[in-house]
Amino acid sequence: MNAVTTAAPGAPVVELDLAELRHDPYPAYRELRRTAPLAWVPSVGRHLLTRYEDIVHAEKLPEVFSSREEGSLLLRTVGPNLLREDDPDHRRLRSAAEPPTRPRQVRDLWAGAFERTAHQLLDRIAGRGEADLIRDFAEPLAAANLALVLGLSNASADDIADWSRAMMAGNSNYADDPDVWLRAEGATRAIEEAVAETAGRVRREPDGSVISSMVHADGPVTLAEIQNNVKVIIGGGVNEPRDVFGVGAQALLHRPEVLDRVLKDPALWKRVFEETARWISPIGMYPRQLTQDHEIAGVPLPAGSRVALVIASGNRDESVFERADEFDVDRPHHPHLAFGGGPHFCMGAWVARHEVSALAWPLVFGRLKGLRPTDSPADHLEGWVFRGLTSLNVTWQTS
Amino acid sequence: MTIVIFELPDGTQRKVTAEPGTVLMQAAVSNGVDGIVAECGGNASCATCHVYVDARHTELVGPPNDVEDEMLDFTAAERRPTSRLSCQIQLSDALDGLLVHVPEEQV
Ligand code: FES
Repeated sequence: MNAVTTAAPGAPVVELDLAELRHDPYPAYRELRRTAPLAWVPSVGRHLLTRYEDIVHAEKLPEVFSSREEGSLLLRTVGPNLLREDDPDHRRLRSAAEPPTRPRQVRDLWAGAFERTAHQLLDRIAGRGEADLIRDFAEPLAAANLALVLGLSNASADDIADWSRAMMAGNSNYADDPDVWLRAEGATRAIEEAVAETAGRVRREPDGSVISSMVHADGPVTLAEIQNNVKVIIGGGVNEPRDVFGVGAQALLHRPEVLDRVLKDPALWKRVFEETARWISPIGMYPRQLTQDHEIAGVPLPAGSRVALVIASGNRDESVFERADEFDVDRPHHPHLAFGGGPHFCMGAWVARHEVSALAWPLVFGRLKGLRPTDSPADHLEGWVFRGLTSLNVTWQTS
Repeated sequence: MTIVIFELPDGTQRKVTAEPGTVLMQAAVSNGVDGIVAECGGNASCATCHVYVDARHTELVGPPNDVEDEMLDFTAAERRPTSRLSCQIQLSDALDGLLVHVPEEQV
């Protein structure tokens, strides 16, 4: 099925400025939900689907809303991978890669090392009294943990973070900047080498990591498949835990009464995590392509149409979440869309839940006494395909 | 056709019919039964399709499989001996009349 790269007949056309979306996409989403819940947006080259119920509907029909989107930047950056496959191929790869990310494995295999890394990073900055918690803590923590879970003992946390950034730039290289492609290719080549070396090692000595699990999977998985999927996991796996950490930490720093309650009742960290992921979802949208004609949000779409499921917008849908723009850990529990749904439900969900809500937040707020933000809430927040803080500057007492 | 009954936390019951061979989660979702979220679409990776099988039927339905057993440790509502993931229960004629209880929370 060839992709249709124009508006479906009958779909409203809405012009959106990408720079404005990057700065703050939420006002535009609100307007789309109200007036054009499925709209063709020329600057994005896709129909944006923005209401909660419609997104859930699409996620429940993977055979219609296919993940095989032609000409996607992700395919160009990393090659064929599980995010852009449908079942049964998706299923085969997912079952091979998933076991090390399941909650019991996280607790039994990885939690101890995650905690040691977090302490080491805090030891480094504790005496300073000030830091950028993204650069000095959240990003290196996410990168080191990812290297561990993947099995890449031959890559440093810095390598992982650099590779991730280079590939993410490729994934959003709508401007087709050749330098961006060059850097992304450098990163993917380095990953291929590191994975090939690791695959050889874990073939002889299985170590419970993702690469090991893929090498020893029942369904056959080729080295190229392992390489490409590790690229995807590195591309996304750093910024999601980092961004939930940053946004949630900042939300609490600016809401001392909520922070007080959470510190007294650590069971609330879980609520903070889910509410942060809903409120400012680290992944804002992902693309789908229709395998057949299908009507959604009142618009009949022809086969081949490209649709972006804007989960960041669904998570602010006021018909589902009251006062949806507010960060509120006490809101009635209602499933959010931040991890996606259906067969592509986020593979890193359990790793991130543990690493951020059971570990990173409690340790940071526990060890750094009198933590205070030096930025205002809107500083350093950017992105719409991916959204998070680029910096989180704080001070604390050192004596 | 297999008939299954979902009892919601407020005590009301929803009776749905499904083809033998369908999984219980699917029967709930396609009939819009509240409280079966099923984020992962039936792959035993989200733990949001949790149900308590009625004591009269637990033996008939059987114990959770390994992958499911692990996930049941991480459900939002407490795990009980009757806990199962509804996406891992395949309906059959033998399960006609099955009663399951939907927990208070899935997320
Ligand atoms: S639907 Fe996700 S575990 Fe059953």
